[in-house]
Amino acid sequence: MRRVTKIAAASIASAALAFTATACGESSTESGGQDKGVGLAFDVGGRDDHSFNESAARGVDKAKKELGVDAKMMTAKNNETEADREQRLSQLAEAGYNPVIGVGFNYEKSITKVAKDFPDTTFGVVDAVAKGKNIDSMVFSEHEGSYLAGVAAALKTKTDKVGFIGGTQNALIRKFEAGFIQGVKETKKDVKVVPEYLYPNNDKGFNDPAAAKAKAKGMLDRDIDVIYTAAGQSGAGSVESIAKKKGAWAIGVDSDQYLQPGLAQYKESILTSMMKNVDVAVFDLIKSVEEGKPLTGTNAYLLKDGGVRLAKSGGNIDDIMPQIEEAKEKIISGEIKVDEQPKG
Amino acid sequence: MANHDIDITVRRGTVHALVGENGAGKSTLMKILYGMQKPDEGSIAVDGDRVSFGSPADAIGRGIGMVHQHFMLADNLTVAENVVLGAEKLYGISGRARAKIMELSEAYGLNVRPDLLVEDLGVADRQRVEILKVLYRGARTLILDEPTAVLVPQEVDALFDNLRELKAEGLTVIFISHKLGEVLSVADDITVIRRGTTVASVHPSEVTPKQLAELMVGSELPSPETRESTVTDTVMLDVDGLHLSATDSDGVVRAVLDGVSFGIRKGEVLGIAGVEGNGQAELVEAVMGMRDPDGGRITLDGDDISRASTRKRREDGIGYIPEDRHRHGLLLEAPLWENRILGHVTEEPNSRGGRLDLKAARSDTARIVRDYDVRTPGIEVTAASLSGGNQQKLIVGREMSHHPKLLIAAHPTRGVDVGAQAQIWDQIREARREGLAVLLISADLDELIGLSDTLRVMYRGRLVADADPATITPEELGSAMTGAASGHLEHEDGRDTAQDSDQPGEQRDGGDTR
Amino acid sequence: MKEQPRQQTAVADRPPRKKIDKDKLLLAVAAPVLAIVAALAITSVIFLTTGDDPFRAFSIMVDYGSKSDSQVVIINKAIPYFLSALAVAIGFRMNLFNIGVDGQYRIAAFFAAVVGGALALPGFLQIAVVMIVAMLVGAVWSGIAGLLKTTRGVSEVISTIMLNSIAAAIIGYFLHEGRLAVRDGNLIHTEPIPEAAHFFSIPTQEDPVNGFIVVAVVVGFLYWYLLGRTRFGFDLRTVGRSEEAARASGVGVKRMVVTSMVLSGVVAGLVGMPTLLGESYNYGTDFPTGIGFTGIAIALLGRNNAVGMALGALLWGFLERTGGRLEFEGYAQEIVGVMQGVIVLCVVIAYELVRRYGLKAQQRKVGEQLAAEARTDKAEVSA
Repeated sequence: MRRVTKIAAASIASAALAFTATACGESSTESGGQDKGVGLAFDVGGRDDHSFNESAARGVDKAKKELGVDAKMMTAKNNETEADREQRLSQLAEAGYNPVIGVGFNYEKSITKVAKDFPDTTFGVVDAVAKGKNIDSMVFSEHEGSYLAGVAAALKTKTDKVGFIGGTQNALIRKFEAGFIQGVKETKKDVKVVPEYLYPNNDKGFNDPAAAKAKAKGMLDRDIDVIYTAAGQSGAGSVESIAKKKGAWAIGVDSDQYLQPGLAQYKESILTSMMKNVDVAVFDLIKSVEEGKPLTGTNAYLLKDGGVRLAKSGGNIDDIMPQIEEAKEKIISGEIKVDEQPKG
Repeated sequence: MANHDIDITVRRGTVHALVGENGAGKSTLMKILYGMQKPDEGSIAVDGDRVSFGSPADAIGRGIGMVHQHFMLADNLTVAENVVLGAEKLYGISGRARAKIMELSEAYGLNVRPDLLVEDLGVADRQRVEILKVLYRGARTLILDEPTAVLVPQEVDALFDNLRELKAEGLTVIFISHKLGEVLSVADDITVIRRGTTVASVHPSEVTPKQLAELMVGSELPSPETRESTVTDTVMLDVDGLHLSATDSDGVVRAVLDGVSFGIRKGEVLGIAGVEGNGQAELVEAVMGMRDPDGGRITLDGDDISRASTRKRREDGIGYIPEDRHRHGLLLEAPLWENRILGHVTEEPNSRGGRLDLKAARSDTARIVRDYDVRTPGIEVTAASLSGGNQQKLIVGREMSHHPKLLIAAHPTRGVDVGAQAQIWDQIREARREGLAVLLISADLDELIGLSDTLRVMYRGRLVADADPATITPEELGSAMTGAASGHLEHEDGRDTAQDSDQPGEQRDGGDTR
Repeated sequence: MKEQPRQQTAVADRPPRKKIDKDKLLLAVAAPVLAIVAALAITSVIFLTTGDDPFRAFSIMVDYGSKSDSQVVIINKAIPYFLSALAVAIGFRMNLFNIGVDGQYRIAAFFAAVVGGALALPGFLQIAVVMIVAMLVGAVWSGIAGLLKTTRGVSEVISTIMLNSIAAAIIGYFLHEGRLAVRDGNLIHTEPIPEAAHFFSIPTQEDPVNGFIVVAVVVGFLYWYLLGRTRFGFDLRTVGRSEEAARASGVGVKRMVVTSMVLSGVVAGLVGMPTLLGESYNYGTDFPTGIGFTGIAIALLGRNNAVGMALGALLWGFLERTGGRLEFEGYAQEIVGVMQGVIVLCVVIAYELVRRYGLKAQQRKVGEQLAAEARTDKAEVSA
């Protein structure tokens, strides 16, 4: 049969070559377009991750309503390469979308590259600092918000054991971890914090609710009763696990997960969410472009600007608000300095 | 294999033998009768009704059952469980089933003990379980595919007694074989198949074994040649104190080869007789270097090869016709020319340096196909598409092409038709004349006696007896194989069989009809 | 008696080969055509059930995929896929299922990146060093699975899957600021490889084609030559076809298992190189993952044949590239994953069907010839 395969292969090869030859010289980027509105490229998990991406989408939705712009949203797949991301961004840019926003630090390099090819378009990247004069880099002080989540966790735990689940062990998620641990420790020294990650270095961590569900279950079995999950779409799995155990609390991330329709059946177990107001940043950018004064450079959204905050929906942290407010003031005043990376 | 124009009529209550060379189409015919394959044209009628079988289940429904050459039994179940397995609906799984088993066993004299584990049974007993299984499912016509291939002569007799019982009870038996002596002794009618078609229907009383063989082959058989000893004084292979232990399925370590010592001289054929499973296969694999013996020495042509690799041994001149050609001798999915390279990849003409010489290998394959009469449309077809006999001819041709010093022939003519059989024997004899040493293992006692210059009997991993092939009879050898006799076997009643034994195989088998 | 065999010969000398070759050609074309038609039909049905127009989708794909910049991207995507498929195919050819190519190329690329970032040799030399390190690490990683199989009887499927996780964990451990990596905003990666040691690229009017294509072609050729034209290759294929027959024919099966696993790992080590030396110049958290699994699909698609796998890799690249476009045009992005799966299944099934049909036809042919002879014989017998 090997001979057969060879013949087959050869015939397909020549067909393919003939096909290729006819196409030479024409590039897909040669088509152009008018201003079509906002182009948004999501990180893995997509729009409905109840978390990070969704927060960005909310910003776009707001812009649609208030500014009357159109928008196109696309989603990253697992196991992507630079080329895939570049393709996604340049497709949006060449079709005439402006601004084009990459949600997630994975877009750092591709934004930098594509932005050069489309100097008249404004690009935005969330969670990364990309160099380029037509790029708006939106960064957040997740560590500060996570510090507050740590304060809440420390005050609410009954077993004196709290957990942290990160989607992937990268610098960004370590920022959440660092703030959370510091917040717990500086509130109640004796509370033990267990930080664990779903994947050491695979973006699948933000797209694998099953893994988070199992991880959370494991933590609950070890008597951990407050779990802070920073893992994008995976977080839903963690919440699901926690909801099954009475008295255990989940702390959500990025969006106010208490208000997420997709998580409504578990909302009674959601203590609070460390909201990262990507929507605000995205809206700011869109608005600036519409007004003809596009934002560029690095724009930091800090605790003091309301860039990150704890959600109060459900009223589960109402009783400890004084302590949380106190910690917030100290951070803003600089009395508390929150680490960006965990110690050791 | 294609069959065409097959006409066969089997009378009820008879034993009908179907004989033919391997590859003649017997198996295909049986598969059609048993519903495993569909015919392109033609019809089958059972009791006068035209039938069409889509699957074995249809055939069983019509009362046709098949006992395969390779038993299909679960070793770890009892006899009764094996019989009931898959037919639970018939008589349940307990008392009623058991009663039925005993009833059948007694009615046909099968002597089956339902509570024994199958793994504890011998080959003949297993065969009876297979027959019982078929009867249990209500078969009135039994197809037996080469049932005697695995039996020693005494067991064959017992099987034939069973068949006669079945016949007496009105059952019909279709008996496939190429052992003409057996066929003549048990069959009521004989149909000969050659190259996919029925060539003759004869009564056993009307034909001699020779005539039958000629019908099968389609030409006159060669006349026997007189034996001339070609044995020299030079020892080619010397095996000394070979010991090999193996762990069996129960985890018990036992010696499968124990103190095996023998020598084969140039021009000598040493035959090893023995019921299968007594260490012959292990002996062959130890000499080939496929198993690592824990004691003993193997010397080939004066060189100690005890530690040499299989490849080295092959390069040094050991030719190997394996017992199971599908597992050890061929790459079934590969074309013939690749099979020609198999086992001799480091030798001329297959390769030079580390490179294969595909052109030379191909043309040498064509030569083997020509010289050894391998019937094939070309050398690009896969080995699987050849019949058993032609596959074996290819293997023999391949091994002989490298002019071995020692040939290990394990069941060289098993499942091979008469024509090819004679040819293979002839090849072995011819090479023997040129100084080849041959280690011959065979379950076909006539072949062993006919070809060997020296005979040894293997029993439970030991060489327990030796015999002179010029005087010994298959029956005497058979009883030594069961461990009943040891030492030097003397022929007892003085009947002189020396002349007969020149011609091994079926032809003389017909002479001692029992 | 001795003359007899020669009288019976004849069959092999007749020239029916031509006819068989024609049939073979027909069969050869039948399989891929069958597969493509079936795959198109099934994906069309899927499009239709989701209420989309399949023909518009196909024309978008063909149109977009034939653009010159798309073709550059497709080729660049295909290079690591092809190498990965080769690595997998070496195992397949001897019935070893090396699922660990994924872990092997990642850990190989990681350590190669570490070494590359730490050295500053003359460019050519440094590229060689980086590649050798990658091949060595890949070989060690797959060799572990080979040794476990031969010495402990651990199935390579299990061990390579586990080694994938271990590789990921090791990379995860070292890919930390202060260990073997540096932080760059939210990205963490190894020290960048100096510019002198960047692999060359072939400029086109669009983006450049990764120069590693040359290495891929050479490796592909070596694969073909080694397996098809050398003793070693024959032994390897023999083990793949029948381990028992290989043992009887004198192949040291255990050694062969280890050797081929190691070879598979060596090639796997190269999988990450086009990216490392031609694109990212460092190993970071954004280094592509999953190429090892893509390689399995492509090896199946290409039937372990070098040219077939090259085409499979290009097809994969085409689907991925045009799949991004489909999403842009409003189709679900998952459809491309579905298509890839359907194509692999169709190809595997089509080849198996055609293979069985071919085998049957061959057997029938052998039988027919013998039967034809028999007819003349029968005439003689009755005469």
